[in-house]
Amino acid sequence: MTQNVRVTTPHAPATRRPRLPRSALLPGLLAMAETAFAHEQQGVPAGLASGFLHPLTGLDHLAAMVAVGLWGAQLGAPAIWILPITFPLVMAVGGVLGVLGIGLPIPEIVIALSALVLGGAVAARLRLPFAIAAVVVGVFAIFHGHAHGAELPKSADPLAYGVGFVVATGLLHLCGISIGTLSRSPAGGRLIQGLGASIAVLGCYFLMRSFGGPS
Amino acid sequence: MRQFASRYESVRSVAVKRLLGRVGFATVVLLAAAQTADAHIVASRLGDFYAGALHPLTDLQDGVLWTALGLLAGSLGATHGRWLVLVLPPGLLLGLSVGLSVGSTWIAPLASAAMMVVLGLLVALGLRINVAALCVIALVLAFMRGVVNAGGAGAATDRVLFGAGLAMCGYAFIALITALTIAFRRLDAQPSGTWRDIAIRACGSWITAIGLIAGGFALAS
Repeated sequence: MTQNVRVTTPHAPATRRPRLPRSALLPGLLAMAETAFAHEQQGVPAGLASGFLHPLTGLDHLAAMVAVGLWGAQLGAPAIWILPITFPLVMAVGGVLGVLGIGLPIPEIVIALSALVLGGAVAARLRLPFAIAAVVVGVFAIFHGHAHGAELPKSADPLAYGVGFVVATGLLHLCGISIGTLSRSPAGGRLIQGLGASIAVLGCYFLMRSFGGPS
Repeated sequence: MRQFASRYESVRSVAVKRLLGRVGFATVVLLAAAQTADAHIVASRLGDFYAGALHPLTDLQDGVLWTALGLLAGSLGATHGRWLVLVLPPGLLLGLSVGLSVGSTWIAPLASAAMMVVLGLLVALGLRINVAALCVIALVLAFMRGVVNAGGAGAATDRVLFGAGLAMCGYAFIALITALTIAFRRLDAQPSGTWRDIAIRACGSWITAIGLIAGGFALAS
């Protein structure tokens, strides 16, 4: 049998000392706070931050990179493992063109098309021959790399910027491939097709914007 | 008697919990109030040793190139990797002495970028090179980085301590990256061609891409 016994100290004092509430210490902690260096830095930190955030903050880049990973996962071997190895290389070639100031025709439209085409391929579970799929992805990679190279902030360290954006792009592919592994189950496959369709719709929006549509 | 013992245990448990709570809260407050610890002995003569050891760690070129070399050695196996820890520190010291004598500005950034591309491609393509070729690559790379790191030594710097720090840093860095790569690949447990190999080759691809972009910047500037 269990009893709810109220526990009391045998030798408890008759009167309790008034206790300071812990929340009263909060102003003290806040008073001890030091300066937060939240301003944008120069050099290597700025380069790393700019390069890493560039593919993540541009929705067109982000959608296309994730779509590449999803499509690679849908296509299976060898695309799923050739993709993360070759894509950064091809993208870097585009980046060099951008850095050197060598222009590409209609870059905004092609980047918008990349989200539309890659998202559509994922939505339709398009199974192209590997060589053709590689060429399609490679062309888009050059244009995305060109945009990254051409938009380098002047204050950023170039090498750090390159490290940041290559790592961010690779991680986005990894993210896409990881999500793409859901395609092994029927429900997961439909979910990924839905994601692909969403990316394609985004691509349509980007395409309209690049043609001067609603912003 | 039993009731008294049970009550005593409960009271003690409450008291211990309360004490632990107070100690935990005090710990959080102390940690929140922690200031920067100025624990380095840079003011002493050993400061030059730390300067030599830290100088390559503050430069992304050293970090990327040494990582690439460690990945290459690790992907080739422990037999190759063991040679690297013997070759890299002397190469760094040789380059440092040359850099201190004739200056460190003659190593062009394009050379570092080209080295990144070469090392990254070797890793990405999974090419197997022999020990002699790996040692030559490591020696050239170490010499180049030794020359460049000589720029971090001032007129009043103790060159022996600076060089010792640089060589020690290079040794530790390359040994760690090589060992981590070998451990990650787990060649003893799995055949080659697994996702682990692909992950290492993808890292090589990233390094090649970084080298290409760095080369582009070098050409543009």
